[in-house]
Amino acid sequence: MRRISIDPITRLEGHGKIEIFLGDDGSVSNCYFQVPELRGFEKFVEGMPIEEVPRVVSRICGV
Amino acid sequence: MAKLKLASYWAAACGGCDVAILDTHEKILDIAAAADIVFWPIATDFKYADVEAMPDGHIDVTLFHGAVRNSENEHLAHLLRAKSKVLVAFGTCAHLGGIPGLANLFDRKAIFKCVYHDTQSTVNPDGVEPQTKTQMPEGELTLPEFYDTVMPLDHLVEVDYYVPGCPPTPKQIWAVVQAIVSGQLPPKGSVVGASEKTQCDECKLKKNEKKITSFKRIATAQPEHETCYLEQGFLCLGPVTRGGCDTRCQLSGVPCRGCYGPPPGVLDQGAKAVSAIASVIEAKDEAEIGRILAEIPDALRSLNRFGIPASLLRRKTL
Amino acid sequence: MTFEPKIMGILCNWCSYTGADLAGTARIKYAPNVRVVRVMCSGRVDPTFVLKAFAEGADGVLVAGCHPGDCHYIEGNYKTMRRMALFKKMLADYGIEPGRFRLEWVSASEGDRWAKVVNQITEEVRKLGPAKLRAPRRKKIPA
Repeated sequence: MRRISIDPITRLEGHGKIEIFLGDDGSVSNCYFQVPELRGFEKFVEGMPIEEVPRVVSRICGV
Repeated sequence: MAKLKLASYWAAACGGCDVAILDTHEKILDIAAAADIVFWPIATDFKYADVEAMPDGHIDVTLFHGAVRNSENEHLAHLLRAKSKVLVAFGTCAHLGGIPGLANLFDRKAIFKCVYHDTQSTVNPDGVEPQTKTQMPEGELTLPEFYDTVMPLDHLVEVDYYVPGCPPTPKQIWAVVQAIVSGQLPPKGSVVGASEKTQCDECKLKKNEKKITSFKRIATAQPEHETCYLEQGFLCLGPVTRGGCDTRCQLSGVPCRGCYGPPPGVLDQGAKAVSAIASVIEAKDEAEIGRILAEIPDALRSLNRFGIPASLLRRKTL
Repeated sequence: MTFEPKIMGILCNWCSYTGADLAGTARIKYAPNVRVVRVMCSGRVDPTFVLKAFAEGADGVLVAGCHPGDCHYIEGNYKTMRRMALFKKMLADYGIEPGRFRLEWVSASEGDRWAKVVNQITEEVRKLGPAKLRAPRRKKIPA
């Protein structure tokens, strides 16, 4: 079984990697997409005054 | 003149710093004329393996943005330090920890519990959490280790220059690029692309005398946009924030939240904010002081929104 | 072996330092755990000093000044009062137990009171245990 790693995926916003497993005949036997990033916005805005939240969560994505 | 080899990498980032570079608009062509981009995930297809294969010092300048959140970010911090002649902590996250640094009030366990189990939109009946190693029938899959504590870049490697801002303004980015290209940079370890004074120095709002008798929130009160926000009782971190962004927030109708980081000589932006803001409260009686300060909810996250990882204590003790 | 807290004391020259000095000349016996730094006025105390003390290994910090109304510089200790009140909220958000940080007013004639305050904060911090807030820099050799 051959393995092709695409790390990182590029030309988009965000982090990701793709692992492709090829059988002996060269066809794809399985393919996995993984997201190796997490920042935890859902947790760390807990307890913030509501009017401050937009200025924080706008940093989830700058694009 | 040989073209500069330029790299730009994002750790725990949002992409805003990359977009700010693109927001230099037509100047991006000048940047492309002066530099060969050798690694820039948002815009080019170079892989980590390509960077690993480079000789040490191969890259002339790397702009590293995003905070260090996990082992992959750490690996790239060390890797890019080795492969770069000049390493720049670009943007507030790399400089101070930034917004992702707010996670330092929690730890991995609390964050994973919320994200993978408790949030209302999560459907995870088997309680699966990301693992650093997962054995699948075809082979082993890996993910980076998520650390308990977010770090700014200089907690791990020697940083040559800091460009503050969330994100840095395109005007300042262009100034920094020009300084790099012309070789006219200040001593290593300096903050570049920003003023040596505070926000108040460039702020055009009318300043009178600060005598705060109560604090207001923009959720429940309407600020006047011609007068200093702090004077009106709206929390503004202008006095403890480095200038250089042309007071873009204040001009947009909201008080400063400190993204350009502490002014020169200040070790802890949050501590200085306490000092500066408490100094201008008008009260001499403990009960009155208590009443006024009760109007500041969420002290740490309001007084040090962007720099908790770079603060003296770095994180909440749990 | 019992834990001996390391407590930093920042005392104003005119009242609290003199009061502490009086405790010495009067030969009062009290806990030796507070290391004293003298400033001219408690209004000089920047919250940064307190955080730096914790970050460098202090288990507790004590700031002492003149009683309100008695400040040698008239208004200095009112600034202290306001700063430390807001600072205590920040300390709580950092997860630091309130017993580790104290603001006290001690006059030049209150040698007894100084000894009592030091004994109290020493016992309280002893019960809380080491603060463990010193954060080492991590610089790993790249793999």
